[in-house]
Amino acid sequence: MAGPKATAPVKGTSSSTSSSSSPSAVQTLWKAYLDHTAPRLKFIDSFLTFLVLSGVLQFVYCVLVTSFPFNAFLSGFASTVGQFVLTASLRSQVNSENRTLFKDVSPERAFADFVIGSVVLHFFVFNFLG
Amino acid sequence: MLLPLLALFALPAAIFAAKESTHDSLVKLAAQSGGIIKLNAQTYDLLTSPTRDWSASIQFTALDKRRRCSPCREFDPAWTAVAKAWSTVPKETRDNHFFATLDFDDGTTVFQKLGLQSAPVVLIFHPSEGSRRSANAQTPTTYDFSSGFDAEPLAEQLSSFTPIPIPYRAPVNWALWGTVGTLALVFGLTIRFLAPIFRSRWTWAALTTIISLVMTSGYMFTRIRGTPMTAADGSWIAPGFQNQYGQETTVVASIYGLLSASFLMLTLVAPLQSGSPNRQRTQIYLWSGVIMLLFSVLVSLFRVKNRGYPFKLIL
Amino acid sequence: MPRAYPLPTDLSPATVTNTKSLVRIVAFALISGAAIASRLFAVINFESIIHEFDPWFNYRATRVLASKGFYEFWNWFDPTAWYPLGRVVGGTIYPGLMATSGVIYNFLQAIHIPVDIRNICVMLAPGFSALTAWSTYMFTKEMKDESAGLLAAAFIGIVPGYISRSVAGSYDNEAIAIFLLMFTFFLWIKALKQGSALFGTLAAVFYFYMVAAWGGYAFITNMIPLHALALLLMGRFTNRLYVAYSSWYAIGTLASMQVPFVGFQPVRTSEHMGALGVFGLLQIVAFVQLVRSHVSSKQFNNLLFALAVGAGVVGTVAIVGLTYMGWIAPWTGRFYSLWDTGYAKKYIPIIASVSEHQPTAWPSFFMDLHFLIFLFPAGVVLCFRELRDEHIFVIIYALVGSYFAGVMVRLMLTLTPVVCISAAIALSTVLDTYIDPSEPDLPVPEADETSGPSETTTDAPKKTKKDKTAPPPTSSGASVTELLSGMVVTPPSTSKKGAAKEKKTGIFGTDTRLAVILNAIGMLMFFVVHCTWVTSNAYSSPSVVLASHNADGLQLIDDFREAYYWLRQNTPETAVVMSWWDYGYQIAGMADRPTLVDNNTWNNTHIATVGKAMSSSEEVAYPILRKHDVDYVLVIFGGLIGYSGDDINKFLWMVRIAQGVWPDEIQEPKYFTPSGDYRVDEQASPAMRNSLMYKMSYYRFHELFGGGQATDRVRNQVMPKTGPTLDYLEEAFTSENWIVRIYQVKKEDPLGRDLKTANAFDQGKKRKRTRPPVRRRSAA
Repeated sequence: MAGPKATAPVKGTSSSTSSSSSPSAVQTLWKAYLDHTAPRLKFIDSFLTFLVLSGVLQFVYCVLVTSFPFNAFLSGFASTVGQFVLTASLRSQVNSENRTLFKDVSPERAFADFVIGSVVLHFFVFNFLG
Repeated sequence: MLLPLLALFALPAAIFAAKESTHDSLVKLAAQSGGIIKLNAQTYDLLTSPTRDWSASIQFTALDKRRRCSPCREFDPAWTAVAKAWSTVPKETRDNHFFATLDFDDGTTVFQKLGLQSAPVVLIFHPSEGSRRSANAQTPTTYDFSSGFDAEPLAEQLSSFTPIPIPYRAPVNWALWGTVGTLALVFGLTIRFLAPIFRSRWTWAALTTIISLVMTSGYMFTRIRGTPMTAADGSWIAPGFQNQYGQETTVVASIYGLLSASFLMLTLVAPLQSGSPNRQRTQIYLWSGVIMLLFSVLVSLFRVKNRGYPFKLIL
Repeated sequence: MPRAYPLPTDLSPATVTNTKSLVRIVAFALISGAAIASRLFAVINFESIIHEFDPWFNYRATRVLASKGFYEFWNWFDPTAWYPLGRVVGGTIYPGLMATSGVIYNFLQAIHIPVDIRNICVMLAPGFSALTAWSTYMFTKEMKDESAGLLAAAFIGIVPGYISRSVAGSYDNEAIAIFLLMFTFFLWIKALKQGSALFGTLAAVFYFYMVAAWGGYAFITNMIPLHALALLLMGRFTNRLYVAYSSWYAIGTLASMQVPFVGFQPVRTSEHMGALGVFGLLQIVAFVQLVRSHVSSKQFNNLLFALAVGAGVVGTVAIVGLTYMGWIAPWTGRFYSLWDTGYAKKYIPIIASVSEHQPTAWPSFFMDLHFLIFLFPAGVVLCFRELRDEHIFVIIYALVGSYFAGVMVRLMLTLTPVVCISAAIALSTVLDTYIDPSEPDLPVPEADETSGPSETTTDAPKKTKKDKTAPPPTSSGASVTELLSGMVVTPPSTSKKGAAKEKKTGIFGTDTRLAVILNAIGMLMFFVVHCTWVTSNAYSSPSVVLASHNADGLQLIDDFREAYYWLRQNTPETAVVMSWWDYGYQIAGMADRPTLVDNNTWNNTHIATVGKAMSSSEEVAYPILRKHDVDYVLVIFGGLIGYSGDDINKFLWMVRIAQGVWPDEIQEPKYFTPSGDYRVDEQASPAMRNSLMYKMSYYRFHELFGGGQATDRVRNQVMPKTGPTLDYLEEAFTSENWIVRIYQVKKEDPLGRDLKTANAFDQGKKRKRTRPPVRRRSAA
């Protein structure tokens, strides 16, 4: 399922690994992240973390308790995954380092795309909740 | 007075013993020849006696070289394999179903009686009494060779008539695994030298072009339908629109390939000949001529396949 | 620079652009007109009716939608199909086609142009073919430029491979599905090129529309992930790919589950697991890229790489494991038979028996695609030259499409768009090279000249017209070079290592140009003539009405409609009709009667029951008929006029399917002669001669020949002198050319006799006495 894979990357960084230099590497990473990331991007990142936690929670509930209204689970889970993906796309599009990659998509347009995508996504989510 | 009464009681026991002995003798016969009873006319009658609580699968074949029955010889190994799988079943269930072979030379009268005109034929006789008795005890079921002479479909279909499914497992194809393993090893060792070839886009271009040419010339048709390379009388064009021989695939694929190559020559190579206008001119005329000629050949080939096609080019 | 022919020098760039747009619009209008017009042969020759078999069901469903509204249609349960089981229509169809027709119908009603629903259904396919041409234009424009786009649009407008499934009257899912396919692919390419979530969302919405319209949506579900995976493997991962794919997948998958027929399949079946796997892989790769930008420690890099690979492996193992455990369904028979080509014949004979599922021989390719089929590899090679991200898509599509088209005739339809696109790219490149007027300088050492760029302002020749090119002005050399350098295609210099920066390339002379251009125009004209001929002869038959050419002209054979309307007008409304599944939809659509089995073929046992009834003797079949309340049995018999698609030719499939369920009662070899022939004359085997199908087909057939030899014109065999007799059925109707024969099932005898005896009594035969008569002595 998509759940573990989508959440693993974020969790991966905080789990320690066997290499002897990795605790310091993780800390270096964390420090570098805090220093070099623009506040706008950090704001988006916090939203992303929230979405990931919400998705993980739903998935754990489905596995441990019940999957009974399966369409409800799917639509809730898909809304977190979809929103995560759209937000991550927005993040990469407004990141000033990526300006050369996104020639046709200005940050304003990126935000408009984000809004339209989210509206369409939640329209389907709402329809599927049942 | 008592003696005749005792004899009366002995009668059913005698009958029982006699019947038992048919089944027993069949079991003994099967044990003798490794799971398959080699029948002759008498043992055939024993096996197919009207009151039987066992079922039997009988192969009617003609393995002698003089009979020239190549399908019989093709099918025999599959039959033996399935019968062998059945002989590994525990004794109680195994003895309720027999595998037998009747060769034409051993039981010509039986062939005549059943009106068999071709071989091989597999008939399945159902029990007429006992727990597995069937309504069609008198008419045997014929095995349908529509899936070919392979052992797996045979085992699968016969399993619906045996007490338990036949535990047939296809043998491991060692040749195939061996080849795959060796190739993988060779590939792994030479990967350093082969990598640049795989990185180059023109390798992939060649591969893609060959695959699409082969596919669009109807190769899968010849493969799925198993059509021969050419007909028996040497003609390589199959009659009919939805039909083709193997040779046609090669011819059509080469025509398509040459035509594509001519177009590419015109587009990519000719403009590069800016060294000498005359050479370029010759090339352009050459390739244009090749295109016209090959296209006409293709159209006339199509006319042979599709009789109603009204158009033609040069040829 | 020298020119091969003179060009006007006083045109401003604005005029050039405007002329270009005008010519493009005119070309489009002509292409749409051609596309629609060439699909109207059937309507002109016969009338505006629905063709074939499947469209009749779609038409019936659309009528329900138009008359009763969307809610009724969505929840429709049809008790007259698959009697007595019924069919939940709302949950077992792809509603896209009906919904489209319904929307168009309601829209036209709202603006007070009342068009009958039948005409909307008949003309829907040609209308959408014009849209397909437009979306192919947009797609090819992304690949190369507008001129290639116009060529591609022209090709797909009239190519027979696409026309065969979209003539007027062919009201089937493919009518709108191909348009949606091309448009979704165009939106995907646009999303990929721009890295825009908007186009990704639009692609997802149209993907949803496609899922609602056609079962072949699995093609898109696997093509786009395949493309993304290829880009990943080639090391071409960019954030644009991430944005495009993720937005498409997340919204598209959720949307596709809204269709009831698809349901939870996107997360439970193997066909959709590829997309999920690539989605996960992309997340991992994107995350790795992000982290890598923050940290430069090589060790951390390696660790992260190992983590990514590890997560990928775990994911794959999880998917495979879930498949083995059964949580994820394996590939369904329809798709699995594309890989294992022997699978269907052995295990699912219904799939193997459909004529559209046979492999394709090369004449079909040539007939459907004509000269595009050999331009197609050339176009693919040219894509390899460019090798931008979008060209990889065309290459993958070409590869996958050729394989599938070779395996199944029906899938020729999915190959057609990519063939049109590649061929357009190839032909457009040829024309660009030879229309370009600039000649290279004659070889002078150290002369500097510009390379001969290809002009992109040419319009492809339309049918018999050839438009003059409108090249940029030569007034200022700088602007020329600027304009041209923007459109320059410099394949030789980029693909060859160490070559000179600017090579001298170009074509000398006007005669060479003329030769090639005239050749190309000739081929295009031949293409048009071929397409028109193929369309009018091969693909414009409604198959409900047949036409035969006699010595005295065209004779129309309207037996099917005659019989169906007889049923409609002369039988009670609840009379159940049994026939082979081919005709179920037509009976339901035209005769409006309950049927036992129809083309949906979802219940193999029910079909096998019908097969068993058809291939058994009357005594065995009669209880089956009575159990299912069958009132009428319908068979198709072509022996009188030579119609080879009749039931006797399909009979072996009935036997095989019945044998699959009742192997001890029905055996196929019994229906052959001892020497293995399939005969219907005196040498026919007893099982054959006593089967219900044989009796119904040949009942009273010999009476037509007035004592002479009765010949079956399809099998070319002479029938025995006395025909079969029927005890349990009686003939109700036979159409004019004996194609459709309808029999009524007799009810049980009121006196309790079995019908055979009752019949014999009616014919004057007395029952043999088994006891001697009692002698009475008169009382003396």
